Amino acid sequence: MPDELILDKEHLTGFLRKIAKERELVAPVKNSHGDTLFEVVSSVDDISLDLESKPVMPAKNFFLPRTETLFHYQRKGKQYLFKEVLPEVPRVLFGLRSCDLWAILFLDVVFQENFKDRYYLNRRSDTVLINIGCREPMRNCFCKSAKSGPFLTQGYDLQLTDLGDRFFVEIGRPRGRELVEKWDYFFRPATNRDRDEQYEIVLEAESRFERIVDFDTAISRFINNEVDDALWEELGNRCQGCGGCAYVCPTCYCFNIVDRPDSETEGQRLRIHDACTLAGFTRLAGGHNPRHERSRRVRRRFYHKLPFAQEKYHRPSCVGCGRCVEICFGRVDMIHFIRMVCERPEKSKEASLRLGEILVRAGVISTEELKIALEKQDRTGKLLGTQLIEDGLATGKEIAFALGRQLGIPETVGTGGVVGR
Amino acid sequence: MHRVLTTCCFCACGCNLYLEVEAEKIVGVIPSREHPIARGNLCLKGWNSSEFVHHKDRLRYPLIRKNGRLVKASWEEALDLVAKKLSDIKERYGAECLGVLSSAKCTNEENYLLMKFARAVLKTNNVDHCARLCHSPSVIGLSNAFGSAAMTNAISELAGAEVILVTGSNTTEQHPQIARFIFDALARGAKLIVVDPRRILLSRFAHVYLQPRLGTDVIWLNGMMKIILEEGLFDDAFIEMRTENFRAFSEMLRSFDLKHVQAISGIPVEDLRRAARTYASVKRAMIIYSMGITQHISGTDNVQSIANMAMLTGHVEQECTGVGPLRGQNNVQGACDMGALPGTLSGYQSVADEGIRKKFERVWKTDLPTAPGLTATDMFHGTGDKKIQAMFIMGENPALSHPDLKTTRAALQALEFVAVSDIFLTETAEFADVVLPAASFAEKDGTFTSTERRIQRIRKAISPVGTSKPDWQIIRELSSRMNCPMDYESPAEIMEEIAMLTPIYGGVYYDRLERGWGLFWPCPNRDHPGTPFLHKGSFARGKGRFEYISYRPPAEIPDDAYPFYLTTGRIYEHWHTGSMTRRITALSREQPEAFVEINPKDAKRLGVANAKPVRVVSRRGEITVKARFTDDVPEKTVFIPFHFREAPANILTHGHCDPGAKIPEFKVCAVRLEPVQ
Repeated sequence: MPDELILDKEHLTGFLRKIAKERELVAPVKNSHGDTLFEVVSSVDDISLDLESKPVMPAKNFFLPRTETLFHYQRKGKQYLFKEVLPEVPRVLFGLRSCDLWAILFLDVVFQENFKDRYYLNRRSDTVLINIGCREPMRNCFCKSAKSGPFLTQGYDLQLTDLGDRFFVEIGRPRGRELVEKWDYFFRPATNRDRDEQYEIVLEAESRFERIVDFDTAISRFINNEVDDALWEELGNRCQGCGGCAYVCPTCYCFNIVDRPDSETEGQRLRIHDACTLAGFTRLAGGHNPRHERSRRVRRRFYHKLPFAQEKYHRPSCVGCGRCVEICFGRVDMIHFIRMVCERPEKSKEASLRLGEILVRAGVISTEELKIALEKQDRTGKLLGTQLIEDGLATGKEIAFALGRQLGIPETVGTGGVVGR
Repeated sequence: MHRVLTTCCFCACGCNLYLEVEAEKIVGVIPSREHPIARGNLCLKGWNSSEFVHHKDRLRYPLIRKNGRLVKASWEEALDLVAKKLSDIKERYGAECLGVLSSAKCTNEENYLLMKFARAVLKTNNVDHCARLCHSPSVIGLSNAFGSAAMTNAISELAGAEVILVTGSNTTEQHPQIARFIFDALARGAKLIVVDPRRILLSRFAHVYLQPRLGTDVIWLNGMMKIILEEGLFDDAFIEMRTENFRAFSEMLRSFDLKHVQAISGIPVEDLRRAARTYASVKRAMIIYSMGITQHISGTDNVQSIANMAMLTGHVEQECTGVGPLRGQNNVQGACDMGALPGTLSGYQSVADEGIRKKFERVWKTDLPTAPGLTATDMFHGTGDKKIQAMFIMGENPALSHPDLKTTRAALQALEFVAVSDIFLTETAEFADVVLPAASFAEKDGTFTSTERRIQRIRKAISPVGTSKPDWQIIRELSSRMNCPMDYESPAEIMEEIAMLTPIYGGVYYDRLERGWGLFWPCPNRDHPGTPFLHKGSFARGKGRFEYISYRPPAEIPDDAYPFYLTTGRIYEHWHTGSMTRRITALSREQPEAFVEINPKDAKRLGVANAKPVRVVSRRGEITVKARFTDDVPEKTVFIPFHFREAPANILTHGHCDPGAKIPEFKVCAVRLEPVQ
């Protein structure tokens, strides 16, 4: 079987029908109210498949549901009985947008890098991912800037390109090949003409992105602490704390664990989606909240999505799907944030001053020492922290502490831990 | 898993959302993207709106009080008892001694049925609901001025306004989706005026922010109108063609002295002048107001002053231009529309009008009481000779939501019989002799009418929890037991009767509600598309009527013994008496406990520490809550939300009411604060 095939559109229903007999088929469906959502397709004849618009919610909910029962418990006398819930559903996700598929791959890393999350991995284990490249960016899309679309070069099981009367099918991972080989009679080999046509579509699709969202500049300004407090404060005022950005984000994975009693003796432990813009997300037992102000929570959100992910995963965790842009009450979304950061004038001097102030207040250096270091820094052009370390006035640990303070990271966690989990 | 589209059960924005159902359990909520208000997002309450549905505290079977305790009973037993008791007490004391509280949480069909039950079965007009506590002054004030008491425009029109004046509405917290349209307007260059005693979040975005003292709204509104008049910024063509009584009004206004503005309200005249010029100098301006305007003994005055200002500047009866009273609850607009009010049948048709009564009598096949009924506040705080002996309360919680709780609870306690239908054992249900378990919004069909007069479906996603029943079935069962069989098979059938008897709902049928996103009333017939904005071409009452309003101070103002103003209200994360939201993980985690907002300067003087308990004392009682420092409240003013049963703000509030609307003055009373050692 060659790696590139053609599926004539008239065979799509037949192919999906076969799939649906063996696996749970999930596809974007436009319902009678006009909303497009990923639906479990029970009958391919009754649905209106929508490959033109972006589903309201990402596909993550199939692996990390809004509400997920981890286990049931029952109290018998002094004993507790537990019944774990570990569903494993053979499933095909058909018609994913590239961004949403990329997001699933991202979550795969998160949920097995340190601790293997059985609940997620079980749901995820037998899933075939079939995406369709986007010929035209939809409203608020910026996957090109996020390097997760409009077409993928890896990660998919099958990738489809709409060539008008037929789909160009690229086989990626083995599960995709299995599926195609099983029902090979729906497919025919792609010709060079098909290949050329597909290549042109990819080029054209990429050229259609007008939105350039400059992740690199935003991340570098963030790391260098060139984002001034006024911006955070404004974003803090604009954020309404609805949690929507996290709920609709295909890569937000933070959750809360709660026990829900059904009666005096029975109940279940649930995992439910959580959002870092909520105060309760970081409030500690005893009431203290290191990110009491909403501006600090917003900051933390973007910190986690951008520099933190960049450092840890070598890319921002944003895939550019644009859902937060579409739904935010106060324009505290990725596009507006990056624009705001990039459009602000640089102000590293001021930021350094603040770092210095933190060190002075912490008793690490004196005001006099700070003054000298700042003058020196003016000449050398080095970062204030580096300058202080070089001059033996502060240790790396102290600088890290001060930077952590400045970025609003609680001391107990430091800069390396995943605060969100 | 399947998904069911329905309407959110919290505020009156009317967002549509999908409930995700798996094996008869709701496991998720998804906002509709196509819905014109939800637009793909919900507030935190909306996103979590399904969690309370399966809470273990849900009432699953009827309860009857035996030997002082509420014990499990069968539906037969419970319904028989309610019917018997109501009949007996009616027999002994007369129908005017029965009181019925309907619910802004319930559907239109249920409100219609309960007011029918009160009038046609119990034969009393003593039927009211919590609109008494929120927008009764709007009903009267806007009816007097415009002839119709609702938002004049659709919510989405806010985005097209050039100037938006927000007063007495903490819009970002109470109506997040409406705030979203305000943000949209700001992004398009609109100007925002915020007038509020608390420095609410929207004030951070305001071009003009005015901070009046509590209860001085008539003063700044008169001042603003005086400036508009003096500077010639009024719309004389509009006044001439569309309004009446302007001459008398303007003469009185001319004699108003601007010196009072700063002296009484604390607003500098120059700031007010900026607001006046900003508001009056554009073509499309909207006023948004809410409880901060209405919950005063001068609530009706405040509303009428707002109407005066809109008419003076011609800022009404056009698109993106008008007056928007933001209704609080999911269906408070509908409960009013359905006639769950002592003076009107459905569609604001007066019970005093014989022709109207005849129309209803013909369909209901019975005669109707003519005497006007008691308001909800009079049922508990009234001093009249008609003492209420028994009540039927559907989905309301006066034992926490009414003012001066000691008096309210004593009145509940003194009743010979109380039946409550609710989804949880509320503070009010604890007083009940019979408690009937009701189905929640997710377990029944029906319609809600949002604040913009949009009538929308709610749809049954799961079967009623336990043996609970939708309220319309409960009322149907009760009615049958009282020799007035109601044979409705579905809410759709009830709506057919509503449409027949209610001109503004005349074209509202379920098949029409399946298409598109509901209908705006007035919608007089099947072919009518509905009316997104009111008063086009002429006011509902013909000409808009100016009425000069003189200032009256609040009923209780601070003195030496009680030196602080207390104002009460809601917060973003909780809903009214908290029976639902405090049972939702994310919401109760956000705001787990009661607090008092206090200015740090006051706190320092009193020796109160942040996050430490403080005792708040009024002439009615005292509560202990944690202090929350913020300079969003001015000095000598504190704010307490009323959601928390363990520290009910309404222990402190008083029962003085607006004389016409009978709304209590929740927004102003006097307290003193004491640090707790």
